[in-house]
Amino acid sequence: MRSSVNKHQASWGWLSQAISGILLVVLLGIHWVAQHYLAAGGLRTYAEVVSYLEHPLVLLLEIAFLVVVTYHALLGVRAVLLDLSPGKRLVRLLDAGLILTGIATVIYGINLLRLILATE
Amino acid sequence: MSQDPKWDSWRSRWFELRYKPAGMLAFMLHRLTGLGLVFYLFLHLAILSKLGGGPESWDSFLALVRSPLISILDGILLLGVLFHGLNGLRLTLIGLNLGLRWQKASFWVILVLSIALAVWGSAGLWILNK
Repeated sequence: MRSSVNKHQASWGWLSQAISGILLVVLLGIHWVAQHYLAAGGLRTYAEVVSYLEHPLVLLLEIAFLVVVTYHALLGVRAVLLDLSPGKRLVRLLDAGLILTGIATVIYGINLLRLILATE
Repeated sequence: MSQDPKWDSWRSRWFELRYKPAGMLAFMLHRLTGLGLVFYLFLHLAILSKLGGGPESWDSFLALVRSPLISILDGILLLGVLFHGLNGLRLTLIGLNLGLRWQKASFWVILVLSIALAVWGSAGLWILNK
């Protein structure tokens, strides 16, 4: 099968996807339990969201979760699209698009956290 | 029939369900749940912008998501997350040449476990949301 990805790149992608995946099991586990099972009524009210995010460790975990989940998701999309065997130029274009999407997503998320914490 | 071999192999990989070994079924489900989760991630982040709108905007949204329909969607989400996460750990072990003997068996265990845990987790959410 023709591929525009060499072995070295493929194993780099595999390893970082495995590591980010394992991190996500932990980070998503914490996120899910804290946001839905520890919160009264299964969901946090606005005031509860604010007070939850005010813990520095929680804020750090949520930001780490945002970065890792965005990375893992976009790398996954890349893997699916690379299976369609695009040419080298298209792969470069795709990579640039995915990197920009990732950066924009993380900025959006951090800005949202800033807005939420600023309302009090 | 398509004459393009690239398209043919792509199509048969995704849409031909006959003669699929467990590993291929795992691959397909991993990708489908993965793409579904990417869609959910961006939907989730977009919806969280309601938090930026202050208490009224968020708390009125909470009333909406306590509906039974959303609980069913939450259950489907939980199933997708559980399968993708457990199968991802399985793929990592296989990639490291660990547990190759249980490659097939572990797929079926993970499938059943995901369904069982999703039912349990959804029931828990259902009770909490009441």
